[in-house]
Order: sequence, then structure tokens, then C-alpha cells
Amino acid sequence: MTFKCSILFAISIIFIFTFVAVSVKADNPRYADPEETMSLIKNSKALTVDTMSYIECMDHRIPGSICISLEEFDRNAPLLLKNKKRPIVFYCESKNCVRAGEVYKKAVTMGYEDIYILKGGLPEWKSAGYEVETMNRVRRTPVVSIKFNQLQKMMTEKKGILILDVRTESLFKEGHIEGALNIPMYMLHKQFHAIPGNRPIIVVDENGKRSFIASSFLISKGFGNVQRLFSGMAYKEKQDKIR
Amino acid sequence: MIVLTGKGIFWILLSFFLLPGFLNAQSSNLKMDCTECHNDSKFNIGFNKSVHNENGCTSCHRPFQSIDKHISKIEKPLLISCGKCHNEIEKEYSKNFHYLYEDFKCQDCHYEIHSLKKKQQKDSKIAIVKNCTKCHENEDYAASDHSAAAMKGNKDSAVCSDCHGLHDTRVYHTSLETNTAEAREFYSRKCISCHSDAEMMKRNKLSHKTVEYYEETYHGKVQDLGYPTRVAGCADCHTNHNILPPDNPDSTINPKNLVRNCGKCHSGFHQRFAEFKAHPDYKNKNRYPSLYWSFISMVFLLLITFSFFWMHTLLWWRKVYWEKYKLEKLGIVPESPLPHEEAVQEIKRFSGKERIMHMLLIISFFGLVITGFPLKYHGTPWAKALISFMGGAHKAGLYHRFAAVILIGLFLYTIWRGISFIFSKGSGRSGWRGWIDRLFGPDSLMPNKNDWPQFKGMVKWFFGRGDMPQFGRWTYWEKFDFLAVFWGMFIIGGSGITLWAPEAASYIYPGWVLNIASIVHSEEALLAALFIFTVHFFNTHLIPTKFPMDPIIFTGRQKLEELRRFRSLEYERLKNENRLDELKIEHPCISMKIFASMFGLASLWLGIIFTIILLWTFFFA
Repeated sequence: MTFKCSILFAISIIFIFTFVAVSVKADNPRYADPEETMSLIKNSKALTVDTMSYIECMDHRIPGSICISLEEFDRNAPLLLKNKKRPIVFYCESKNCVRAGEVYKKAVTMGYEDIYILKGGLPEWKSAGYEVETMNRVRRTPVVSIKFNQLQKMMTEKKGILILDVRTESLFKEGHIEGALNIPMYMLHKQFHAIPGNRPIIVVDENGKRSFIASSFLISKGFGNVQRLFSGMAYKEKQDKIR
Repeated sequence: MIVLTGKGIFWILLSFFLLPGFLNAQSSNLKMDCTECHNDSKFNIGFNKSVHNENGCTSCHRPFQSIDKHISKIEKPLLISCGKCHNEIEKEYSKNFHYLYEDFKCQDCHYEIHSLKKKQQKDSKIAIVKNCTKCHENEDYAASDHSAAAMKGNKDSAVCSDCHGLHDTRVYHTSLETNTAEAREFYSRKCISCHSDAEMMKRNKLSHKTVEYYEETYHGKVQDLGYPTRVAGCADCHTNHNILPPDNPDSTINPKNLVRNCGKCHSGFHQRFAEFKAHPDYKNKNRYPSLYWSFISMVFLLLITFSFFWMHTLLWWRKVYWEKYKLEKLGIVPESPLPHEEAVQEIKRFSGKERIMHMLLIISFFGLVITGFPLKYHGTPWAKALISFMGGAHKAGLYHRFAAVILIGLFLYTIWRGISFIFSKGSGRSGWRGWIDRLFGPDSLMPNKNDWPQFKGMVKWFFGRGDMPQFGRWTYWEKFDFLAVFWGMFIIGGSGITLWAPEAASYIYPGWVLNIASIVHSEEALLAALFIFTVHFFNTHLIPTKFPMDPIIFTGRQKLEELRRFRSLEYERLKNENRLDELKIEHPCISMKIFASMFGLASLWLGIIFTIILLWTFFFA
């Protein structure tokens, strides 16, 4: 083997190892369960970051958390999380914590060193008996959830309904109900003024878990006729598949 | 150190008497003070009539520091957790879906908390439905029988909280097919808890045994074992909310809708597949006559077979044991009339192929028993442990089918050998006469005219009224061992293949045949297993003359002396035909003996352990 070949071989090996190491690090995030998270907060002054929308985060969050939604992480993290060595625990409001996982990946590439995902998210935190704090609670109001066939009926009857899709812009672009207005959840507190107040609103989300608080928020802001789609777009897509 | 003087004690006692009154006065003052400003009807009238009226404002609201700041809305009194009093509910609520995922507080469902009144049980059920449907408008539930009965005041009828929980509300999004296993497990348990309550069902003119009958079907057995994902739970057939009786045309279990209903999980079936009974009472002669008579026939078959063979084995054992004991007591060792060399000479009884066939039979038989019986006795702890050890009901099913394929292969090979034997070119008569000769001849396993006298002779011998009869190559009990398994294969194999491919089977016969196949397969399996473990094992291996085992089927050879003593007709026949020399064979090598002992004894022990487990199940489980 020539000298040139040896160098190339060594570079390839280093590259592969680095790639594998980064991949492993990126694919296997560190998790902290609620007890470990509490210990990190108390003993290591860890910061907790709520990756849900501003409305949800202000409504209920782990005491002392910072609100940075997944969609705004690239822009807000450098401003709000300046110390890249400080332990940070990301969380969201589902057991699978997909949003927190996405934020974790971004944080890795942005150079945050000591980061975790709250295992089981906020539901697990509550199940473990830890409290949440409320900064600006959205008053819960009964909101009827309608199934997709009912929505279709309403659409054909042309009752002037407005379908408000609160999913992210990218998901909206992938596919949405015809004529829907997209205001992602993380922008709703800023952009709700753009929604016409005289039309019945049907709030649509990914799987029915966020549309309730979005609807309650709109009602608290004076929108009178608000309903939501049962199980969100996931249910609609499933029904489409069945058809 | 504080020294209490008489004066000090007086003031302490006085304060004890006066303090409660003072606190009450404070509480009522606070309540009065609050309503001076908060004087709308919600507080003045509503709260006075509410269930919390006696508590006072400060039982739920913390006192504020400054009245001025409070009036100017700078200081809001913090809320005291409802769990301070309702601590059991608070514990339940910590599991509530609405709390965990949407951060609901008590007042988010109880709404007008200040005018909250205690509901009667009848009203509370209606109130729950009204409350839940404020958000969860559910046309399906509204149309259901549960809803109709609940709205009429039937306190037994299921409302939202009966299935989803009241304060510990759980939600499994079956609509999105997530958490399928948990959902089936959770919701089916909820259905079962009411529908197996004898008193409740009697009050509502329903059968409380529906659950029991369901658990006797394949769906119910697998569900009960703890693997609900791949089998139909209650809601899969009856739906979650729109539960209607079968005579309602909108019901999923209406005969007109059954094909579509079954088609949610099954495919490629004839429409008569839907005639399968999902929870039949096979002891109900009038409603399910075919099932009833199938069950009765199987019970009779088991009773007759075991009554006869257990008695036969018992008498045989007694006779052998007594004779052996008498001879031992007198110090008599039976002498062989053969010269020593001939007495120790061994002759071939089973060929290599036959020995391999028997070993494969043992492997497939135990494979079928171990993978199948946990389904039959699904409610027992050993069944659950065994299925868990095998990696779940689905994997156990796969192993069961694999073992069945081996057994079917052996069965087909046996038929081929039988045909080859009968239609071979023998030395006797030619043509059909030769076939008949071979079929009923001494080498055949078919019963012949010698069996009945031999049986009678055996019974006489049991009671000391004659000598042990002389036997040929095959005894009557060996013929029964073979033929019972052979003919049993038509029943157990036929029903097994039917249950393996129920959809395809529906092109041959209607769905209710699957119910019969299930009973027949199950009872025939019990017959086969118990027969092998209690009759075949005891007759062939555990009898005092053979104990602990007879390795003949593994080594394929027996002593010439043994042949002469116990199968004298065969000995004489071979001698007359000058075939003894060609059958003479070497003593087995040490490795074959070790293997025979290990494999044979392991099989015996496994069978005995299984018999003990079965007996425990019959009497104690």
C-alpha cells in the first residue's frame, strides 16, 4: 500500500468513526425520567424547556421552564439558551415526546453539550406526582368534537365554516382539507386576530390532542362558534385509507 | 424551661374552650365578608344551597394579605387543592387523561363549582352523560341501548364513566389503531365486569354467562391468556358505543350485518363463515343441538375409553405386582428353557425407520400438547406461564402448527406404509385373498379373530382363573394404541386443519362447524394426551416388569427369551418359518443405550409432570 493510499485509508476510517459516533449520539438521545429531571434541576441547576406552543406552555409547564417551541427553536435558542454547557431538559406533552426529540437533534447540531429529553414527557412528570405552574391559564370551555363525516356534511351544506388547521406549515403543505386556513399552534397567540369572527370555526390538528386548548383559547378571545375535528387529521387520513 | 403556674393553666384551659368558637366566628365572618362584595346570585344563593355551603370561602381560597390589594385586583387569593378534602379522588385523578394531557382542573368538568349539588345515583349517571357529551358529542352512544336505558334511569346501564372511568378517565385512541392491545384489554375488562355480574344481568334480563361462553371460544381463550391484539374483543364485534341488540337492523351483530362485521378482521371467506357462534352455550340442547351432541359424544368417548383402559391397567398392575411379590417372597427366579447363549440373544423388533417415526411422533406429540393445552386451560397460572415462556400466544400457535405438520407427515407416511404392506407381493395367496390375509394376518395391526379370546384370557388371568394368554407379534392393546392414534388423526387432524384455515373451510361447511371443530379438537386432544400418559405409559413402561421404562422402541431390539416368554405365538411362528436367525441382532452400543434411556425417560417424566398438572387443573384450578 502506497503512502497516499494509507493516508486515504486512515481518513476514511476517521470519517466513518466520526460519522458513526455522531449518528449514535444523534440517534440515541439521553433521557431523564421525572426523578432524574428533578435531581438535575435541584443539584445541577438544569433548565427545563417546554417545546410546545406559547399558549400551551403559559397554560401549564414544569415550574421555572422556558417556553421555546420546536418551530421557533432555531431562532430563539441562541437568545434564551446562551450557556451551552448548562444542563437542559427538553420536554413536550406526549409520552413519545417527538417534539422534544426533534428539538434535541437541533440542539446537538447547535452545540449544546449537556442535554436530555424528559422521558414520558409532561404526562409522566404529572404521573410521578410533580406539580406544574400556570402563568396564563386558558379557561377550559366545552368544545364539541365532530367526526370527519360530519365535517364533510357541513362543508357540502356550505354553512360558511372556516377550517382552522393548527398544524405546522410543513404538515399543512403536505396535505390539508380544502379551503383550510393555516395558523400553526405556536403562532396562534399572535395571529388569532386574522381569523374572521363571524364564521363557525372547526379547529383541526394532528391527532386531536391540541385542538381542545386551541379552541378554548379562541373562545376565551371572543370567538363564539368553535368546534374541533375528532382525532384530527390522523383520523381523516385513516378514514381515507379505509375508503 | 416553662413552669406552668395555676394562673397559666387557667388561661390555657380558657383558650381551649374559646378557640373553636372564635375560629367558627372567623370563618363565618370571612364568608359573610366575602359575600358583601361577591354578592351575585352565584355566591349569595347558589353557594348557600351548594354541597360546600358549610365549608366557607377559606376552605377553597387562601386568605389574602391585603384587602386593599384584593379590592384593586392586585392580590388574588390562591386556590387550595380540592384534594385536601377529596384525597381519594385526587389519587384517581392523577391518572386521568384530561389531567395528564390537557391539564384539566376540577372546575373544568364540574363547571359551576360554587353551586355544586350532590346528585342521586340515578341522576348522577345522566349528569355524567350530559357533562361528557358537552365536548364528546357521540351520536353512536346516543343511539345505543346503554344510552336509552341509562336515560330512563336504569342505574346498571353503562354510561361514559363505566367504561372510561370517572375521575381516572383513560382514553385509548382505538380510532387511530394505537394502543390496540391496551385498549382491547382495558375495554373488554370493563364489559366483562358488568356482563359477568349475575345479579346485575338477572335484573336486566340478560345472561351473565355470555362472558363465560365467549371465553370458551378461540377469541376468548387468547384474550384471557393476555394476548388480545390479534383476536376479537367485545368492541370489535359489538362496536364501542353503538351497541345494539341483534334484532335491531342497525346492529353490527344483526344477521344481515354479520358478514361485514366478521370481514373487519377476516378475509377470503364464504358468507356462511359468519354462522360461527361467538359465545355459544354448548350445554344448551335446544339452542345449539349440534354443539351439544358433539360435546356429549366426546364426553362419552372419553368416559368409555378411560373407564375401560384405566380398569384394564389397574387389574393388570395388581396381577403383575402381586405375582412378582409372591415370587420374590419365595425367592423364585423363573428359569429359561433356552440355552444361556440363546436366552441372551437379541432379535430385531422395530426397524430404524419405525424407531425414527416413533421419536418424531414423541416430539410432535409433546410439541402439540405443550403449545395447545395452555389454550385449553387458559385460565390457569401454568398456562399463562407456559405461553409467556414460548413468547406469546401467536408464537405458541406457530409452534403448534409446526408440530402438526410433523404429525400429519407421519400420518401420511403410515398410510403409505400400510398400503405398501397390504398390496406387496407376499409369499402367500395371490390377488385379493393375499391382501385379506395380510390385512388380518399376524404382522398386521388390524384386529383379528385372535384378539377377543386373548382379551378374555387376559381378564381371566387378572383374576387368577387361568394363565396369561399367548400373544403374537401384536397384542390387542398395542393394536388399540395404534388404531386409536390413527383414527384419532382423522378427528384431531381434520378439526385442526379446519381451525388452522377457518376462512377457507367456510367454502366446505358453515361457520358453526368451527365451534364443533373447536370442541372436538380440544376434547380429542385431552383424550389422546391422557391416554398416552396414563395408559400407554403405564402399560408399556411403568408396569413393574418394565419399570422404569422399556427401551425397545428406541433400540429396536428385545431378548429372544422375552419374545419366547411373552409373545410365544410369534416365537413359534418365526421358529417354524426359520426366520429367527435372520432377525438376530447385536446388543446395542453404549451410546444408543444412553440415548434411549435419556430420551425415553425425559419423555416419560414430561408426560408424568403434565399428568400431575392436568390433575391439579381438574381438581383445584
